[in-house]
Order: sequence, then C-alpha cells, then structure tokens
Amino acid sequence: MSEMKDMITEVVERMLKENVDKDLVDTVEQGDWAPALWELFEENGMTVVAVTEENGGAGGDIEDLLNIVRLTGKYAAPIPFIETTFANYLLEYLNLQILEGLATYRLSTNQVFTLENGTLTGEAHHIPWARHVKHLVTLAYSSEGTHLVEIDLSQADIKQGTNLAGEPRDTVTFQHALVSQTSSVLSPDEIHKLTTLCTAFQLALMTGAIDKINDLTIQFTKEREQFGRPIHRFQLVQQHIVHLAGETALALAAFNNVTEALLTNNENSEVAYARIRFEEIIQAVTTISHQVHAAIGTTHEHSLHQFTRRLWAWRDEGVNSSYWTNIVALQLMENSEDSLWAYLTTSNSSSPLLKVEG
Amino acid sequence: MLHLPTVQFTEEQEQFRVEVRAFLQDELAKGTFTPKCDSWLSGDDPEFSRLIGQQGWIGLTWPKKYGGQERSTIDRYILTEEFLAVGAPVAAHWFADRQTGPLLLRYGSEEQREFFLPQIVKGECYFGIGLSEPNSGSDLASVTTRAEKVEGGWIVNGQKIWTSNAHLCHYMVTLVRTSPFDGKNKHAGLSQLIIDLQAQGVTIVPIKYLTGEHHYNEVFFDNVFVPDNMVVGEIGNGWAQGLAELAFERSGPERILSTFPLIDELIQELKRQNNSQGLTQASKIVARLWSLRNLSIGVAQLLESGNSEDVSIPAALVKALGTKFEQSIPEITRLIIQTYPSLDADRKIDRFMAQSILHAPGFTIRGGTSEVLYGVVAKGVVAQ
Repeated sequence: MSEMKDMITEVVERMLKENVDKDLVDTVEQGDWAPALWELFEENGMTVVAVTEENGGAGGDIEDLLNIVRLTGKYAAPIPFIETTFANYLLEYLNLQILEGLATYRLSTNQVFTLENGTLTGEAHHIPWARHVKHLVTLAYSSEGTHLVEIDLSQADIKQGTNLAGEPRDTVTFQHALVSQTSSVLSPDEIHKLTTLCTAFQLALMTGAIDKINDLTIQFTKEREQFGRPIHRFQLVQQHIVHLAGETALALAAFNNVTEALLTNNENSEVAYARIRFEEIIQAVTTISHQVHAAIGTTHEHSLHQFTRRLWAWRDEGVNSSYWTNIVALQLMENSEDSLWAYLTTSNSSSPLLKVEG
Repeated sequence: MLHLPTVQFTEEQEQFRVEVRAFLQDELAKGTFTPKCDSWLSGDDPEFSRLIGQQGWIGLTWPKKYGGQERSTIDRYILTEEFLAVGAPVAAHWFADRQTGPLLLRYGSEEQREFFLPQIVKGECYFGIGLSEPNSGSDLASVTTRAEKVEGGWIVNGQKIWTSNAHLCHYMVTLVRTSPFDGKNKHAGLSQLIIDLQAQGVTIVPIKYLTGEHHYNEVFFDNVFVPDNMVVGEIGNGWAQGLAELAFERSGPERILSTFPLIDELIQELKRQNNSQGLTQASKIVARLWSLRNLSIGVAQLLESGNSEDVSIPAALVKALGTKFEQSIPEITRLIIQTYPSLDADRKIDRFMAQSILHAPGFTIRGGTSEVLYGVVAKGVVAQ
C-alpha cells in the first residue's frame, strides 16, 4: 500500500468538500461546465497520479488513483476525472504517449469505428464529456484487427446527449479523421485486460456514491422525527439501516480487495466478483435509501438523487455484470482444480498487468 | 466501522492451508469421515477430534504452555475454513476450541487454564455453552438459573435449553444468577460457572432436531454443587465476560460456509453436465461468497490486532449477512439444477441439499437471532 494514500485521500476529500456542492452539480447537469474545479485538481497534481514520473506523472500507484476516483464518486464531482485519468492509464499501459489536457475513452467492442490509412470513420453514442474534452481514446477496427487509438475530438461532429444523471454522454462522428496515436493489434486477452481495468475504475466511482448514499441515509434517520422520535428508533427502519450498512460495508471491502488484487496482479477474478456483486448492491442501496428518505428524497431539492441517479446510470455504462457472469462461468468451467474451494483459495496469478508503478 | 481491513495471506499462511488441505484429503480418501453440510453442529466425531488434536490443530492460537501453537487468528481462520469447506466433523470440540479456550485465557484462573486447556487441545474435552433458558432466548439477561453461595462453592438450580451437543460434552460454561434480578440493572448479578456435566443433580434430556437427529438438549440442575474454583472470572461479571466471547462466535467462517459443500457439489455437477448457463447463474453465488469472505476475514484481522471493542458491531453484521447467505444456497441451487433432496440419498448433491434445507432455519437463530443482531448493528451504525 502506498504511503501516499492517506495523504492524497485527505487532500482530495478536503478539496471536494470545499468546492463541490449540490448547486455546482446541478449547474453542470444543466449543461454548464466546471473548469475551476478541474484546474484545482490539475494544480494539485491529482490528474497525473499513477502516471510514471518519466511521463510527467506525480508518482503514486493505482491504489492511490482509484481512491481519488472513489472520492470523485462520493462527491459526484462534475468533471471528467475518471475519463481523463483512465484514458491516460490505457495509453501508458500500451506504451503510448500520455496526453495533456482533458480526455475521454470508449472501450466498447461494438465495432463502430473503422481505422483505415491512419484515419477514423464511424459514429459512437454515449461518449462521456466529449463536448468538453480534447482527446478520445477508443478501440478501432482495421483490416488487421483491433487497435487502441487516440484522436483529437476537434475533428468530430458532436451531438450532445446525457445519461440518467444529466452527465454529458455525446454522440461522436468521424469522417476520415486523422488519428494521433495507434497501438499494435490487440489480442482478445489484451482487450479483456483493458476491460478489467476499466471496470475497476468504474467500481471505484460507484463505491464512492454508495458510501455517500449510506452516509446521507443514516444521517437522515437521526434527524427526521415521526411520532415523536427519530425514525432510526423504529425497528422496521433499523432493518433498512442494517441492510444498507451491510451492502455498503460489502462494497467498501470489495473495492479494497480489488485494489489490492490490482497491486499484486491477482485481479483476474476479483474484478469480476465485485462487479457481479455491485449489481445487487446498487439495487439494494438505491431502493433502501429512497424508501428511508421517503417523499423528500424524491424531490429535486434533495441531494440524494444526485447519487442514486448516478448509480443507475453508471451500472449500464461500460460492460455490465452479464459480461462478468459469463467470464466467471468460463473460468469455472475451464479450471482444473477438483473443488471450488481450491479454485477460490489458490492465488490465480494472471499475466503481468501493471507496468505503471509509482 | 464499515471500513474493514483487507488481508493478503503470507506465503507461510498459504503453505499452512496446503498442509491442512492435504491432511483432510488424505483422511477423506481413507474414509475417516463423510462430508456434511453444517458439520460444525451436526458432525460430532470424538475420534476425528482426537485426530486433529494430534495434529496440534485445536487451540491453535493458545500459549504453548497449555499445549497451543501460539499461531495467529488468521491461521486459525484458514484452518477453520478448510474444515468447513470439506464438511469435516468438527462439532465435538467446536465450542471448547472457539469459545471456552479464549474465555479461560481471558478470564479464567491459572488453575483452570492448566487443568482444562491441555485436555481441550488433545481433542478429549468438550464444552457446552449454557446460555438459553426456556423463557430466556434472545432476552438473555432474563436468565433465572440461580447459584447460591455455600461453604466451598455454589449450589445451582435451574434449567438450560438448546445446548448443542451437551450429551457429548464433559463440561458446560453456564450463565447463572448469583444475586437476585434487579429490574434497573438486569445485566448485574450474572456469573459464569463451569459445571461438570457428570456431577450429581445434572440431567440431560435430548431435544430431537426436526430431522430426528440429536443435537440439542435440555440440561437440568437440581442442587448441583459447583466448587469455588469453577467460577470463571469474577462473580457478577458474567454479562461482560459473555459479551467478549461473542465477537469470536459471530464472525467466523462458519457463518458463511455451513452450506459450502453444497455450493461445491453444485459447481462440480454443472461442470460434469457442461452446463455453462447454470454456471453463469452460479457465478452470482461465488461473487456473494467472495464479498462476504472479505468482510469476515476483515473482522478476523481486527480480532488479531486485539481491538475487540471495535469488532462487536461488524462481527454482528457478518453473522446477520453470512447466515442469510448460507440459508439462501439450497433455494438458489434447486432452481439451477434438478435435485431430489434426501438425507439418505446416494447422490451427494441430493444429500447436501437435504442437509442444507433442513438445517437452514437454524442458521439465522443460533448464536443470536438476526433480529437481535439487526438491533445491535443499527444502534452501532447510528451511534457513529
């Protein structure tokens, strides 16, 4: 574990607490943009954590970075932080050039972008923050196979759209636009690896929102009085509290175990298990928190929805849990251990994954 | 409080796991035991207990001078997981190893430790846990079994109920009233006595479990004399002492793995059938197991670092979540695969299904009902 982790998370949490409030999130959801917040992250070196120092990075490892991502989820920070940092993480992972400025990514294996003579053609939907950022890192398909390419978005035709949480999710069209960087052909295993990393980043973001929803809800049960006493005193409400706290504890533990697994290159199954479990956690946490908050939680005025709507949106972005249940099924089918227990407890080293180390 | 530590097993710990597993596979191949679900309650086999006592695997964490190995809580966690995953019959010595030993190490007298711990470690001395009474289940402070002071000891009168395996046990740590019930402080005046179950005045009556098997008992005390040196800790401190045991009792692998042999057989059966659709469904069980295990190991790590005050709430949470999971396994299994549950079936999965279905109702009751645990957790979370 990085010694920097505690310090970084403390700094970031303070930054977010002081600079992100419901109004800012509302404003950005309505189509505005929060350059000052981004600059703050940039000035503090948070946008280049886990980028190696020779590439202009700030040091730190993937655990540090994922914990910052977690905090941006916890505060619904309306900036393309996960997008920019993961785009760079992908590039560095494949030994490509790190980017300056804002970026976004698309890892879907729907073959919408064709790569021909160094140019990109095609249309993709739901690209996060495309209207506000400079670079897109995406999979593209040539006659040789699948590549990761980086391309300047100024060449794109962009049609604005949003997800359930009002976050920018734009349609991007390229017509023979020049790509800036291209990876060699990626094998299916490599693409799976990139998908695994991407899912780990998304888990971090979701963990933050789950944690926040738990905090908001527990706090609410202490403040809200009915029948002359705070509602946490009612046993039926206590059942909700326990269920919510349990799912939150499970999410936090899953996230922490995933980051540890990434540090030791043992993430093969952990990311899959966590993502499958998060499907259930998100369903429980969003349902319970709204039920406990009752009518006020369904209003725009309350901040609960800024987190529940994000979870409802994020769970369908990237690959969802059905991808991962199939992966686990495949792993179970192919593993040669003669018991599930042996399979679960034998450390299953995957191919070396993380070349990026602080 | 919801943030629990993660644990990466060391190479030595992985090695220990391999060692335990190899031993159990050997014994299984020799036919020493038949795997069972819920084997920590229903798998009582004194021969097997002695065998693992010989391995040094009872009282693993205890001081060497009492026959222990002075190994870590995490080592014990690994050991326990291996026993349960294979459904080994560990019930006979279970409570002595899990609860009585740690209790005596914390509160017992030197004489008690020197007398009991070496026998427990050999797998030859079993303890029952005497808590519940007919009118005192979840409301434990209302126990009425009483002990009255006499020359050289105490005279006990009353009754305990639901005592697992008392008919096999040599002793029982018994929660009794040593001073009259005080409505203003109902936790006061309780004490823990070690009662010799062969003593005059003790009567053990079986309560058959719904399968017809004999696990539970009623234990009656009719003027049973308990010498002074069998008082555990301090007179009047029984409530606090009992609470300290609970973290050990509530968060272990036995709250997740009681039905593991069924999960394992389900996966093997699906593999044999080349049923990838079934495996896709079963992967959700594996993911749930993984996530609960993270939490349970996290609590073990907290116990290892000796911070048991912080542990009681997450430990209660692990029990509430884990037992619900264990309970769900047969319900999920039967919708993935066709089974014909029967306790005397030839097919393993049918047997494990029968054991799991029939034992499942107990998971969320024994060791603190889920409802009581919910109260503990909710209050703890709100108090943060």
